[in-house]
Amino acid sequence: MAGRRIVVTSGKGGVGKTTTTANLGAALAKRGMRVVLVDADIGLRNLDLVLGLEKRIVFDLVEVAEGRCQLRQALIKDKRFESLAILPAAQTRDKDAITETQFEAIVAQAAEQADYVLIDCPAGIEGGFRNAVAGAKEAIVVTTPEVSAIRDADRVVGKLNDRGLPMRLIVNRLRPEMVRTGDMLSVEDVCEILAIELLGIIPDDAEVIDTTNRGEPIVLDPNARLGVIYDKIARRLEGEMVPFTSFDAQGFFGKLFGALKAG
Amino acid sequence: MAMHQPLAQEVTAPAPKLGRAIVVTSGKGGVGKTTTTANLGTALAQRGAKVALVDADVGLRNLDIVLGLESRVKYHVLDVLEDKVSLDEALVPDKHSETLVLLAAAQAREKDEVDTEKMRALMQRLREHYDYVLIDCPAGIELGFKNAIVGADEAIVVCTPEVSAVRDVDRVVGLLGNRFKPQLIINRLRPQLVKKGKMLSVEDVNAILRLPLLGVIADEPEIIITTNKGEPLALRHDSETANAYHAIAARIAGEDVAAPAPELKESLIDKLGSFFGGKRA
Repeated sequence: MAGRRIVVTSGKGGVGKTTTTANLGAALAKRGMRVVLVDADIGLRNLDLVLGLEKRIVFDLVEVAEGRCQLRQALIKDKRFESLAILPAAQTRDKDAITETQFEAIVAQAAEQADYVLIDCPAGIEGGFRNAVAGAKEAIVVTTPEVSAIRDADRVVGKLNDRGLPMRLIVNRLRPEMVRTGDMLSVEDVCEILAIELLGIIPDDAEVIDTTNRGEPIVLDPNARLGVIYDKIARRLEGEMVPFTSFDAQGFFGKLFGALKAG
Repeated sequence: MAMHQPLAQEVTAPAPKLGRAIVVTSGKGGVGKTTTTANLGTALAQRGAKVALVDADVGLRNLDIVLGLESRVKYHVLDVLEDKVSLDEALVPDKHSETLVLLAAAQAREKDEVDTEKMRALMQRLREHYDYVLIDCPAGIELGFKNAIVGADEAIVVCTPEVSAVRDVDRVVGLLGNRFKPQLIINRLRPQLVKKGKMLSVEDVNAILRLPLLGVIADEPEIIITTNKGEPLALRHDSETANAYHAIAARIAGEDVAAPAPELKESLIDKLGSFFGGKRA
């Protein structure tokens, strides 16, 4: 049976798509799943950096599409997780170097040998987004509790709806203390606006910057609290009912929410 | 009086002095392009300059929210490009700064609907009426990027101290080439993390990028708060981060302002403590 094909997308850049893709992929692999991560950000690839695999790239997505190598030759195995591999994007090409049909075919082929194919979508809603979504059957929408990120996510949710893709939400970089003081939207606020099912809540954690810079997914660290959270998300993807971690955040409908509605 | 004007000036009929068109770009999303555009525009307007802010992120606009103008936007850049309304009708006056206007992006349209040549001409028209035209570029390097840079003659690149952002900025600087004289703003620096060797320092970032440094902005919750509220931090003068924006605006205006912000001084002290500790790659 072919594996699940899930695009990780957001509209807005810098909300944590690549970090989420890497850590969720690693968490699934730790659970014994066979996982392929596809970097769809042609020209601005970063998934290889986040996993510390940048020096091992030989072939890339565009070369597979052009038939210059086999998919298996382009896949880079992550030595820390036996069942995790990434397909890097091309760095010196443009997004239109590959068509939606080509992208879809490559992802379908990757899914034949994997339980999960996670597609790291580029920011925006241009050609790169259309390619990434063309390869997917499900979507994870990542957003941060900021008005601009939520507006962009809302636009993407509309586009995914048009394509009939089932989707779930990850709220990233939550700062519970700012929610308490009314300076940040709560998870409840975000869910109410976007009206899609919640898959996970990830608190803002300075450790992520460091582990990302070092190319070591935080799920590798057994003591990291975010490792536990990514593992919970992985279990929810697997269909388990896992309670959400409480960050002691009360629902707070302040003037921020009013401002957003106006937009 | 006209009769006192030297004749030579009439003969050469000099073109009106054009304002500067500066694109704010980064490659990577979420590093703070829109927040930087709003705050620098506000800071320049506070200095008395006439400033037009252009949101080039068709389909994913946000500059209106950050300025608190989202309910005042009636028309957008595509309406102007398609001659549906005049430029004057489309410009939204800022609610805080008298000399600041916003040209919003279309939200329900796509980036490939923008005519590149018309966009260039529109930026030229804005330069005839404003001292500064700041263009908020979308993330990525697709069509939206190309249309955002087409009418600019200078670039500010925004980068966070993260390897992925540095790589993306490096790619964008390569794409920009020499024409735009790119200058660097390092955003969201956390001096404490730099001190612990857990974040790239200003020196680390610029060892790779090697660009003229326009300023450094610290990662402060007050930026998230003011951004969500639609009141740019640069309206204030009582915070270090606000003053960092004012210093950058002064530098853009050509003033020789010294060391950007207290954060930078602190991180230099941090460097002395762990001289070789912060470097990654």
